[in-house]
Amino acid sequence: MTIAETPRFVRADGPDKVTGSGRYTADMQLAGMLAAKFKFAEIAHARIVRLDLSAARQIPGVLAVLTDDDVPDVRYGAGLADRTLFARDVVRYEGEVIAAVAATTKEAAQAAVDAIVVEYEPLPIVDDLEMATADGAVLVHPEWESYRASPGVPRDGNVASHSSVVRGDVDQGLREADIVVTSRYIADGSHAAPIEPRAVVAQWEGDKVTIWTSTQVPFTARDGVCQTLGLPTNRVRVIVPHMGGGFGGKCGFHYEAHIAALARTARRPVKLVFTRREEFIAPDRRRESMIVDLTTGVKSDGTIVARRGQALLDNGAYTADSSFFTQLAVMHLAGPYVIPNVDIGAELIYTNHQPSGSVRAPTAPQATWARESHTDEVAAALGMDPVEFRLLNAVETGKVGPSGQTYDEIGLTECIRKAVAASETAGPLADNEAVGVAIGWWPSIPSPSGAYVKLDGDGAGQIITGAQECGTGSVMTLRQLAADELGMDPEDFQIVHQDTAVAPYDTGATGSQTLFNNGRAVIAAAGQIAEQLRELAADRLEASMADIVLSEGAAHVAGSPDRNVPIAKLARIASYGELLIGHGSGTPPSAPEISGATCAGDAGMAAWVAPQFSCHAARIRIDRDTGVVRVVRVDAVHDSGTIINPIGALGQVEGGVVMGIGQAISEGTVYGADGRQRNPALLEYKLQTAADVPEIHTQFVEIFTPDAGPRGAKGIAEAPNVPTAAAIANAVTKLIGRPVTHLPMTPERVWEAMR
Amino acid sequence: MSHEFELVVNGVTYPVDVDPSRSLLNVIREEVGLTGTKEGCDDCECGACMVLLDGQPVNSCSYLAAQTEGRSVTTIEGIMNGDELAEIQKDMLDEGGVQCGFCTPGMIISATALFARNPDPTKDEIQIGLSGNLCRCTGYGRILEAMKHTAADRG
Repeated sequence: MTIAETPRFVRADGPDKVTGSGRYTADMQLAGMLAAKFKFAEIAHARIVRLDLSAARQIPGVLAVLTDDDVPDVRYGAGLADRTLFARDVVRYEGEVIAAVAATTKEAAQAAVDAIVVEYEPLPIVDDLEMATADGAVLVHPEWESYRASPGVPRDGNVASHSSVVRGDVDQGLREADIVVTSRYIADGSHAAPIEPRAVVAQWEGDKVTIWTSTQVPFTARDGVCQTLGLPTNRVRVIVPHMGGGFGGKCGFHYEAHIAALARTARRPVKLVFTRREEFIAPDRRRESMIVDLTTGVKSDGTIVARRGQALLDNGAYTADSSFFTQLAVMHLAGPYVIPNVDIGAELIYTNHQPSGSVRAPTAPQATWARESHTDEVAAALGMDPVEFRLLNAVETGKVGPSGQTYDEIGLTECIRKAVAASETAGPLADNEAVGVAIGWWPSIPSPSGAYVKLDGDGAGQIITGAQECGTGSVMTLRQLAADELGMDPEDFQIVHQDTAVAPYDTGATGSQTLFNNGRAVIAAAGQIAEQLRELAADRLEASMADIVLSEGAAHVAGSPDRNVPIAKLARIASYGELLIGHGSGTPPSAPEISGATCAGDAGMAAWVAPQFSCHAARIRIDRDTGVVRVVRVDAVHDSGTIINPIGALGQVEGGVVMGIGQAISEGTVYGADGRQRNPALLEYKLQTAADVPEIHTQFVEIFTPDAGPRGAKGIAEAPNVPTAAAIANAVTKLIGRPVTHLPMTPERVWEAMR
Repeated sequence: MSHEFELVVNGVTYPVDVDPSRSLLNVIREEVGLTGTKEGCDDCECGACMVLLDGQPVNSCSYLAAQTEGRSVTTIEGIMNGDELAEIQKDMLDEGGVQCGFCTPGMIISATALFARNPDPTKDEIQIGLSGNLCRCTGYGRILEAMKHTAADRG
């Protein structure tokens, strides 16, 4: 499919966004609103020996100064409860919040923060993933055993989570191999870096609080406030105005409770807006750095027989939502290959760095970069073309993957063939150019999700959904589904969304799950109204309900388009009787079975519902004098099932590819020996610009996938971020003769690898 | 200390009385009350705060409001032609150039300035013209497509 063939799709929120009339959280002004500022640790590991707030409280205009003493004694965290709202005795990373201030102006709030006196006794910095698990290592959380955790996730000291997948006999497999290749790869951490820094506004009315916040997950944010401040869910309302991008960085519960607590103490609405530096250092959501070791055994005919692997993941100081990352990393080290014998493990390791958490396809870009670089090394050792090697070993329909899942109809090998063929149309390669190829996979996440649909008396429709729009367009696509169900036009619907008080539950803009799950809910809700309309029309047209067809804004009798009644007229009739209200949720697809594998630390990620597959071919150009890599073309081919909104899906692929280019060559967190970030600014942490980006050619291998999302769709938002860095790396290796084993592949690292 | 002057935004004159250290961005958002201009970094790196100053694109985060006295500021709210979307706004919608929308105002301001000085820019000129505006959602592809359409319609 080319863009010229895609149907036009104009987003319902588009006009707000091109005219500047759309409101984001930071744009809000409420009467009497105060400004909030946080006192951050600004030291990576230390015991607090003195905290003096007295001078801060004396600053004119300051109405609230809060610390750990002012909030309930609650330890929270998804999967592993190792976190408190404010630092308690010890700070474990530079962005930890010690105190929160609300004042009449930002300047007064900042002056109060500056007047807070903290004296520290420095503690040793834990920042080496291998040393952190050695005997006698300093523990980031000496009291780790007392923390509440999900059952079944092994933990030990600085290891916050361990997972493994063992299948077959890896020792025997490696003994039987003709060639064994071992590699080590190291990836730096990176950032989600949405262009909108996060913002939170809270206002109390009586014993109820309304919180406007730039979160990807309003229900999770609400539940975090309820848990930490001790409130029932019906007294906390979370509303998300337009959200300026998330990429996982705004998943989870962050600062909503801090601001609600300030607003309650100050008896005024309070607004927090992060600076760019705060956005870099404080949230517990950055992409984890990783050390990967892989050993793969192959037969001389190119068949993979065994793989041993280990990944060490930098958890940072707290666990955020990352407990399950170990199992995801294991799956990506295995990859979408048929491997009969595997023994792969991963450990999530506490350090004094910023906490890691879900950033677009967590663990996948780094682990895939390592695995696919290793894959090219194995092919080279065999003297085999790396594309042929992949085609020989890739999972396909009916084959059994490394964790023992048998795949239904999938299109991975078609993705590989199409990407390679497309890249070959770009003409001959210059001496300093090469094409690298990499494949990837990513799960679709089944989850409960709800929506209402109503038609009012004039026939105008509303979709009221718990789903969250973070920019991708997935929520905007819902009106297409409702319109199709009711034979109406998408423009007949408005969407009321991201408000926990008015809509049923949805997981949020996370895990590429919005259209996958909420689409089903909207179709079910609209389907109930369709039934009501058919009943009204059957009565009016003197026909059987089964013969009523809804199309082009009218109900008509099948085969007799002249016998019709406009839906708007039926809606008016209904407005005097039984109202047109539908609700839906739908049962999420259940996880497929796996056979023959033993999974330690099983987080349900060893078997994937509606797995997505991809192949990227990246054509790059290298400057041999400087080590500068320029990506000139990417061919991206994706099996994400049925594509419902083509222009939205294209936008996801192009955005994911460019984020992947950034991770490949320019984006990486630099830490000092003091455990603090050295590049928390957009000048030093380089995102790709419009002048940097290559031609991107996208194709979809559309396979109707049963037991998946609506109309056989899978997810799409994260998958495009998975294989790009790997494809670029394999092109670099072709040009310089050896892999660059440290991500990002900056000019310095490429230049060093060349010599 | 404050400075009293007249600030002209989108053809409307606003009397303002602000501390001379305040940025144009801050005064547009908080005194004038136009919030379409966004703050992404306060450091001239992201371009979300771009406005036209006498037709030239500037990062309003790093421009003092007081420096604009006697000059004309255009924000995203002043880009429409009366009640009609400008060509570039329509093309951004039609081509899928808008996702989260946070960079969109600055992007449209940059594009407006580009087309004013070069009505028929090449692909390279468009890419360079927008290189001061970071977008994390789109990978720029759909935005560049929108700009190409606008250029084709004007050229």
